[in-house]
Amino acid sequence: MKALLKKGFHQADRLFSNVFTPQWNPLYQLGALSFFYFWIVAITGVYLFIFFETSIHGAYASIERITHEQWFVGGVMRSFHRYASAAMGISVTLHLLREYAMDRYSGPRWFSWVTGIPLLWLLFAAAIGGYWLVWDQQAQYIAILTAEFLDWLPIMVDPMASNFLNESTLSNRLFSLLVFLHIGIPLALLLGMFIHIKRISAARTNPAKGLAAGTLLAMLAVSLWKPALSQAPANLDRAVTEVGLDWVFLNTYPLIDSWGPGQTWALLVGLSCLLTIVPWLPSRRPEQTPIAVVDPENCNGCGWCLADCPYEAVTMKEHDFKSGHQQSVVDPDLCLSCGICAGACPSSSPFRHVDELTTGISIPGFHIKELLSLTENKLAVLATGAPRIMLYGCDHGSVVEPMASDSVAAISMPCSALVPPAFVDYVLRKNLADGVVISGCCEGDCHYRLGNSWLEQRFSQERMPILRTRVPRERVRLRWLGEQGTAQLREEIDAFQRDLTAETVVTLQEAPNG
Amino acid sequence: MAKASRYLGQALLYALFFLPIAWLTHQPTHTHLEPGMAELKIAVRHAGKIIGQCGTDNSAPEVLLPEHVTRPEICPRERSPLQLELLLDGETLYRATVAPSGLHNDGVSSMYRRFRVPAGRHHLALRMNDDAAREGATWELVAPIELAPAQVLVATFKEGFRLQ
Ligand code: HEM
Repeated sequence: MKALLKKGFHQADRLFSNVFTPQWNPLYQLGALSFFYFWIVAITGVYLFIFFETSIHGAYASIERITHEQWFVGGVMRSFHRYASAAMGISVTLHLLREYAMDRYSGPRWFSWVTGIPLLWLLFAAAIGGYWLVWDQQAQYIAILTAEFLDWLPIMVDPMASNFLNESTLSNRLFSLLVFLHIGIPLALLLGMFIHIKRISAARTNPAKGLAAGTLLAMLAVSLWKPALSQAPANLDRAVTEVGLDWVFLNTYPLIDSWGPGQTWALLVGLSCLLTIVPWLPSRRPEQTPIAVVDPENCNGCGWCLADCPYEAVTMKEHDFKSGHQQSVVDPDLCLSCGICAGACPSSSPFRHVDELTTGISIPGFHIKELLSLTENKLAVLATGAPRIMLYGCDHGSVVEPMASDSVAAISMPCSALVPPAFVDYVLRKNLADGVVISGCCEGDCHYRLGNSWLEQRFSQERMPILRTRVPRERVRLRWLGEQGTAQLREEIDAFQRDLTAETVVTLQEAPNG
Repeated sequence: MAKASRYLGQALLYALFFLPIAWLTHQPTHTHLEPGMAELKIAVRHAGKIIGQCGTDNSAPEVLLPEHVTRPEICPRERSPLQLELLLDGETLYRATVAPSGLHNDGVSSMYRRFRVPAGRHHLALRMNDDAAREGATWELVAPIELAPAQVLVATFKEGFRLQ
């Protein structure tokens, strides 16, 4: 099922990246979109609250006034409030499915996964509370069923449902409680959202501006075309017969209706428990368990690995033996062994005058020394006819190893940002290869979140360690095509080789004149 | 892709996202109560009779009591559970024992149930025993009722069953 889901996402990714560009692709920023929808709901909620009357008779009437007497502001605000909530429900669901399909939930990521589950409950509770406040037929329906659902738990002495027996048992105080909950639950949700991203450095909580603008425009169009309206007012003396439901958030109510509260509780709690243990189920992707190791001898305390770690696994402490210096420390509970830190370390340079290359920080499964020897050995056996290509790739993006040939040396590693820029310089300067290709996950969708961004920035000299100016840029290509772009990468490497051949010819032809 | 066709594509994809949302937030309607049905709710909140009677405290030996001090009276706190029964046209819809609340079973007993019943004429019988010392119903209400479709009839208890 996971493979199918992943395939589906890959196909959708391609379409969305073509239409939206990878920077605006909503599928790459579902978490950030969820944050964005939350803020829209919060802002419009404050507006609605100003005009809302907290009483049995005032509630419905005040919302009718907001909707009809000032529909151009109030009506649109109300529609935004409803549609942004629903959009958040959908984007969070897609976000969950995507993290699952792309294997981004096990290992230290368990924290984000597990803290995501209460967010689902809070989000649904907030939305249900909102529909309740409208006090129309739908509200009456959910009030009674929610009360019966909660009454199933042996917590309260007096059944909550006895507040909704008929019109005479309804009290204004209950409405105050509901308003309080409809503010409190979203605040708890917001707090939960921040806990959810606590272990993620530079978490993306804002979508691309273009995507945000497009979403707002689309939501405005829907709000004008189909404004959010109330149903007939609630009347507890008459039972609700046919009721229009918001199927995004109220989909469990028909289940409570037909199964009763007990079985519905069993289903919801069962599903939540199952979701919670997903990071420890055998079907998870085995992560590289050995965590990054710091070698104090070679660590100068520059902090570049700290700046680049996508999971806040690196901190600094006083150096073991160089007084006045600092040294990196890795928190084993947070490290995903991506190796981005090794690519950031200034000691990871093959130009260093040492007998055996060592570095300040590296992952045991793929030491920088190993990367160097693999690079040299694989390049040494290439034939000299066609331009020789050093192809570095990652285990989550385009599949590079089968692309090895007598003119292409291919090495795959956990994350391509493990390749220190100095390696590219070294390979070209020592004439071990004629060109270097670094490939990886799709742009904007790095398996380790920031690998391709950091690598791009190092190569464009915006981030340390930089790719030195002397490196001929026309001999280096960064290609972010992802697993689904494997065939395209192969074609692009052929094209790169053709370009390099032409360039060599041009250089040779130019030589006698120059 | 040309810029214009890209924006057009985006508009289509936004529509693909928001149209189902606009539809799902209104449709399809759900039938909670079939036509021709009505609802009967029963909610009882009542403290059962205390089990046992007050008696004198005989725990301290006579010699230890100071002069002129009479033995204190001890009253039990535990209350009888409610035995409730609801019959419609002679058929039992509900029969249960509702325990008192509180750690010492000394609180009120509280219950609520909702039933879907066909609209029309019925014969309703409600019986309750709230005294463990007595056999049979201590409270009873037997009445013919007539329910319109979607009507909500509520039975509560306050010094006797009441129908609203
Ligand atoms: C209100 C709901 C939610 C919001 C607003 C939200 C938002 C986010 C954000 C902003 C990130 C960081 C993305 C990045 O910068 O790479 C993230 C990561 C993550 N989320 Fe959520 N999330 C929500 C619910 C969930 C749920 C329900 C789950 C699954 C049960 C989940 C699982 C994850 C995981 C596993 C990550 C880590 C991804 C990684 O390490 O690469 N989230 N979330």
